[in-house]
Amino acid sequence: MIESRPRGGAAAVPSVAVGNARLRFGDTLLFEALDFELAAGSWTCLLGSSGVGKSSLLRLVAGLARHEPPTRVSASDGQPLAGRIAYMAQQDLLLPWLTALDNVLLGTRLRGQPVTINKVAEARRLLDDVGLGGRDGLRPAALSGGMRQRVALARTLMEDRPVVLMDEPFSAVDALTRIRLQDLAARLLAGRTVLLVTHDPLEALRLGSRVHVMSGFPATIGPALIPPGPPPRPVGDPAVLELQAALLQSFTA
Amino acid sequence: MTPEPDRRTVILRIVVPVAVAAAGLALWEFLVAYYDVPRFVLPAPSAVWTSLVDDFAVLAGSWWLTVRITLEAYFLAVVGGVALAVLFSQSRLVELALFPYAVVLQVTPVVSIAPLVIIWVGLDHADRALLILAWVVAFFPILSNTTFGLRSVDHNLLNLFELYGATRWQVLTRLQLPSALPHLLAGMKISGGLALIGSVVAEFVAGSGTATGLAWRIVEAGNRLNIARMFAALILLSATGILIYLLLDRLEHLVLRRWHESVVRREN
Repeated sequence: MIESRPRGGAAAVPSVAVGNARLRFGDTLLFEALDFELAAGSWTCLLGSSGVGKSSLLRLVAGLARHEPPTRVSASDGQPLAGRIAYMAQQDLLLPWLTALDNVLLGTRLRGQPVTINKVAEARRLLDDVGLGGRDGLRPAALSGGMRQRVALARTLMEDRPVVLMDEPFSAVDALTRIRLQDLAARLLAGRTVLLVTHDPLEALRLGSRVHVMSGFPATIGPALIPPGPPPRPVGDPAVLELQAALLQSFTA
Repeated sequence: MTPEPDRRTVILRIVVPVAVAAAGLALWEFLVAYYDVPRFVLPAPSAVWTSLVDDFAVLAGSWWLTVRITLEAYFLAVVGGVALAVLFSQSRLVELALFPYAVVLQVTPVVSIAPLVIIWVGLDHADRALLILAWVVAFFPILSNTTFGLRSVDHNLLNLFELYGATRWQVLTRLQLPSALPHLLAGMKISGGLALIGSVVAEFVAGSGTATGLAWRIVEAGNRLNIARMFAALILLSATGILIYLLLDRLEHLVLRRWHESVVRREN
């Protein structure tokens, strides 16, 4: 059984609220007066077509986007969010000159923490958890796209942050690998406050405790869909398939 | 992959050019003898070889001066180019202020600034003038390639480093410099040849009795109609240029072979 709770303890996992958000991309107003909440310790999925502003909203939560007043981004425990966020993107964002192991240890090094035997052992165990045991000495060029994304997942886990932001993390891999990575991520990131941005309704419905649809210009966010059953839900789950059909119909309407 | 095709390719890559060279030299030797071409117009390859052997002491001394100036100019170009590129990447203001002058230095033909440099360093120190002129020629590819490399870091990776709370120094040393390394090495390959060309051109324009490199020997042999020695000096120059290129190519391969797209072996 893999330890999936953050090692800091469940009490350290806050919910995250975005209030009255306003953001531009160049001269275009992406959204304004937008409210959004990530429930504590569960997965919130944000669905929408390309360019609607999903990634921008994620970047806003991450503190990477320059939002405008009166935007508020806050955690339920009142502490600042900076330093408590792990991030995973569509590209693996691995450094090609580092081995898989050193890529997993990147955050540790950047924080100036000593790379102790314990840290290395932990990184190895995480690589093992994502199914890359024994491959920790390989560089990204020697790994397939799916393997690289698994290294990125291991690095995200190594950060051991209560809040995890994922921007279409599985969209660049083949369908089978995607299902496996989804299961893996659901298992290993359970108990954290996760925001998953995706354009794949099935992915959102398999993984999300709540699924929101973002649409329109400027964008608005729809009410939460709550798929029944614990994630990761089976691909063939009738409730999931029914919701997927409904979502796809609402997109194309 | 089986070793056979590889070995065959290697043999072909060596045997074919050598055979072509041997045939060319034989034809050259034959034509010079057959038409009785005067030595001061076109010496036979055997005469060039004799000159290379007989004048070796003189030529080797000149060769060493040219190589020394080339290496010094190259070293200063790499150090200076990288240092200035890093400075540019850290301060937009410095880049805006200085980059135009780097371009001015680059586009002004080195031949035309040679007399000025000679006046400034003094005729007694012609080797210093050669060094400066060769450096001017070799410097710009390093600067512009490294600047480009430092600037073209994936912005998603910059975001990641920002999220991880990386300091400016960490972003530079752990992200920007390694990302720029392939560009720097490409620039170093261009500059290696240019440093040699620069030191030779500079010597043609600014050479004097106080600095007698290979270019000086070529001019001197030309004036004396000693064409065989001219050819011998030319051969040494070409060989040096090829050697510099091969060494830098090897360096690039060794540094990048583990991770960069340009050298990692692919199945397709």
